[in-house]
Amino acid sequence: MRPLAAVLGLLWAALNVVLAAVFLVSAFIATTPQHEGILAQIALLLGGALVGAFGVLLAMQSWKLITGRPA
Amino acid sequence: MKAVAALAALVGAAVAVVAYVVISEQQSSGVQPWSNELSDNVFFARTIPFVLGAGIAFGMLGAAMTGSRPTPGRRFSGATIFGHWLITIGFVLALPTGVWQYLGGIIDKELPLRLYLIYRVHYVGAAIVLFCVAYFPVYWWQTGHYGLVVPRGQWKRHLAGFARDLPPRIGRPLARALRLDPSSAPPAEGDFTYYETAFSFPTWAFALALISLTGLIKALRYLMPVPGPILWGASTLHVAAMVLLVWKVLDHLRYVFGRWPLVAAMTTGRQPGKTEAA
Repeated sequence: MRPLAAVLGLLWAALNVVLAAVFLVSAFIATTPQHEGILAQIALLLGGALVGAFGVLLAMQSWKLITGRPA
Repeated sequence: MKAVAALAALVGAAVAVVAYVVISEQQSSGVQPWSNELSDNVFFARTIPFVLGAGIAFGMLGAAMTGSRPTPGRRFSGATIFGHWLITIGFVLALPTGVWQYLGGIIDKELPLRLYLIYRVHYVGAAIVLFCVAYFPVYWWQTGHYGLVVPRGQWKRHLAGFARDLPPRIGRPLARALRLDPSSAPPAEGDFTYYETAFSFPTWAFALALISLTGLIKALRYLMPVPGPILWGASTLHVAAMVLLVWKVLDHLRYVFGRWPLVAAMTTGRQPGKTEAA
C-alpha cells in the first residue's frame, strides 16, 4: 500500500510542480496578467512559489515513503 | 434516534433525486435555447439547495450511526472515513478542472476537450464538495466531536505549540512575530497535534468556506442578477481559494505521508492507543 501511495504522491507532486512552473513563467510573460496589472502578476508569482515549494516537499516525503527512510 | 436520522437521510436523498430528475427534465425540454455550457450552469445552480440539504441529512445519519461515546482503539469513525474519501473524490474532480479553467485563460490555450465538459466535471466535483461542507459540520455538531477546534482562550497555547513543533528556522521567527513563548505549551493532549489544531484545520476550514461562499455567489448569477463588482470580487477570491486548496492538498499529503498510521487509520478507522476523536 505504501509504494502505491508514494507513487501517486510523486505523480501529484510532479503535476503540481509543472503547474507552479507555468504560474511562475506566466507571471512574467503571459499577456492576460500583464493586462490585468501588477497584482495579478504578483498573485501568480506567489501562488506558483507556494505550490512549487510544497510540491517539492511532497515529492521528498513520497520518496522517503518508497525508500523506507524515516521522515 | 438512529431511525429518525435514517428517515431524515432517506427523505434528504429522495428529495435530492426527485429534484435532479425534475430539473433534468425541465432543462432537456428544449424550451430555453441555451447552449450546453449555459444549461449546465443553470442546472448546477438550481441543484445546490438540494445537495446541501442531502449533506445535512446524511450528516445527521452519520452522527446517529457513530454516537458520541469514544471507541477505544479507533481513531476515525466510519462516518468520518466516508466523508473524507468523498471530499477527496470531489477535490480530484473539481481542482484540476478549476485550475484548467483559470490556466487556460492565462496562457490562452484550449484542450481538445469541449469547454462545457470541463465545466460539467467541475460542477460534479463542486457538488460533492458542497455536500461534504454541509455533512461535516452537522456530523460534528451532532456527535460533539470538537477535537480539532481550539477551545476558547487556548489559541495562544496552541499557536505556541505549533511554533515549537516547526523546524527551528521557521518556528522561531514565527514565535517572535506572534510574540509567543514556545516553552509555555505543554505536549499536545488529546488526539490531535498543535499543527492540526492551530494550523491545518483552521486553514482547511477557511479555504473551504471561501471557495464554497464565492462559488455560491458565482452560481447565483444564473438565477438572479448579481452586481458586477460583487461577481468580480467573488471570482477573484474563488481563484485565490483554489490556489489555497491546491497548496493545502500538497501540505496534507506531505504531513500524513510522514505519519503513516494516520493514513492507515483513515482507511480502517483503527489506530492503536487512540480513541475515536473525529
